[in-house]
Amino acid sequence: MSGRELSGPGMSARTMRLTRTILIGVGVLGLVLGAVVLVSKQDLPAILRVAAWMLGAIILHDAILSPIVFLIGVVARHAGRRVSKVVLMIIQGGIVTGCLLMLLVVPEIYAKTLPIANDTVLPFDYAARLGFMWLGLAVLTAGVCVVYLRVAGRRNVVR
Amino acid sequence: MRRLLLTLQHAVAAPTRNPRLAVVIGRLLGLAFLVCFGTGLYSHFLQEPLPWMHFPTFPGNLYQFTQGIHITAGIACFPLILAKLYTVFPNLFETPPITGIGSLLARASIAVFVGASLVEITIGLLNTYQFYPWPFGFREVHFALSFVIIGSLAIHIGVKLPIIAKYWRKRDGYGPALAFDDEERAEINAPLVDVLPAPLQKVPGARQVSGLTGRLFRWIDAAPAEQPGTATSTSRRGFLVTVGVGVAAVVVLTAGQSFALLRPFNLFAPRVKGIGPQAVPVNRTAVAAQVTETAMAPDWALTLGNGSRTLSFSRAELLAMPQTTVDLPIACVEGWSQMATWTGVRLNELVRRVDAGQGAALRITSLEKEGGYRVTQMGSEYVGDDNTLVALTLNGETLDIDHGYPARMIAPGRPGVLQTKWLSKLEVLS
Ligand code: HEM
Repeated sequence: MSGRELSGPGMSARTMRLTRTILIGVGVLGLVLGAVVLVSKQDLPAILRVAAWMLGAIILHDAILSPIVFLIGVVARHAGRRVSKVVLMIIQGGIVTGCLLMLLVVPEIYAKTLPIANDTVLPFDYAARLGFMWLGLAVLTAGVCVVYLRVAGRRNVVR
Repeated sequence: MRRLLLTLQHAVAAPTRNPRLAVVIGRLLGLAFLVCFGTGLYSHFLQEPLPWMHFPTFPGNLYQFTQGIHITAGIACFPLILAKLYTVFPNLFETPPITGIGSLLARASIAVFVGASLVEITIGLLNTYQFYPWPFGFREVHFALSFVIIGSLAIHIGVKLPIIAKYWRKRDGYGPALAFDDEERAEINAPLVDVLPAPLQKVPGARQVSGLTGRLFRWIDAAPAEQPGTATSTSRRGFLVTVGVGVAAVVVLTAGQSFALLRPFNLFAPRVKGIGPQAVPVNRTAVAAQVTETAMAPDWALTLGNGSRTLSFSRAELLAMPQTTVDLPIACVEGWSQMATWTGVRLNELVRRVDAGQGAALRITSLEKEGGYRVTQMGSEYVGDDNTLVALTLNGETLDIDHGYPARMIAPGRPGVLQTKWLSKLEVLS
């Protein structure tokens, strides 16, 4: 932030300072309120476990997920130097979408192996659906690539 | 250390990692968080009202809507928060990491924000599968963290406001993905002096291939992330399209549990509309509530008390009273919901028989052996509403035991946990 202390378009330095003060004040209030609620509703060991989960989430994201995503990106750029950049992006988009859905569905697959309350909870065969989803996504991604290459090719011919 | 941080920052820089995109995604994420916070608070206070609170009973599917939005916006948070973290990843290696007490607090509040948000959406999602792998109370922690999140979000916006204002509008440009000043660039490009023999150090550009890290960074550099002009705007567009497709996919393929319109696309939600006994899904079964005997007992009667005045009604007596039919949803706190047709006795007519005045509230007791919702309270706005029924039939059939036979409560705009099944006792509170 240092050295970039500037007022935005249409906002005077004074409004900016006031807005920031209010936001930070409200924020501190929120934090205090959250802490009070937490302390009043959970005992110390449980609070420590919440903190451990938060720390774990940060580590999982920053130290494991992000580097993997970064490396995959670099590898893709290396491998795909001769492939059209847009095609590469379409494929990446497909993979990202699939991974997002997988993130939501894999816990369902696991939870379904535990005793569930009744037949109306987790009624689907989620593993099979996940498989079909990847298949469908692969077909769709390929289709989009083909359409793109056709259109791009025609554009080049016309020119 | 500074060198390493700068080099890392440089390595992970990409056209899609810039302040303008951080603002674009941040706005959507902030909106989704505020929507979750608002609808979540509404759900909380419906269950634990403050004494002065009164809630709307119209439209009858209000809670179905707000909680459906809560879960759906919550699920949309997954792609959004990951995208947001992606755009700001280089900031993780900011150097110097900390410049003073202000920057320490700013970074700490971001850590709290990220950690709390990730935990909040994860436990929220798993709760909709009725899967509780964490060693603390769900509702308590989900509630407390929501304040922590909104608080640290406000601090974050306050700290970053100048940048946010600067990149709020598209025409103000994208700004540099990462701005290294000359001195920083020099440091990134400086020779790894210790490793190279002295004569070689003088050769221009002779820094790189030294040791594993050097080779790694050189390899990364060989696949340039920063390209000029159109290529950059293509990857920005590609990034935004990917985020859009990701949000659309997770929302469209799950929101059918909450919104009937999307039901045909419900591939992955933990709940489906239209299944279960009498085409209505169930949370707590009669077996789980340990009522299979008490609910079927031939001498079951609903007792209704107002002070010393007490009446009791068998199911046959209730059926003999004037019957009303309403369409109201079961809308679960977990976000799924199901519209249904209920027939039974108006609650306001029943309580009139024990001379309860206008504005009477009720304490409702179920046959359930235990559970947090065995005894609950109902505010006067629901007791007096013409659409609140002691329901005896569901979708034209005698109420299934899993839906609360012999009699259950159904009221407009309340969460499913408060639509008490297997009614036993109603007491007027003055
Ligand atoms: C930043 C995001 C979120 C915020 C600020 C938030 C906030 C809240 C709040 C304040 C409540 C009321 C808690 C209470 O009754 O004491 C609530 C309830 C709930 N939330 Fe969230 N929430 C978020 C994300 C999510 C997500 C992603 C999901 C699931 C996909 C979710 C699922 C639930 C459920 C199931 C409840 C009902 C709990 C109950 O009453 O038993 N939430 N939320």
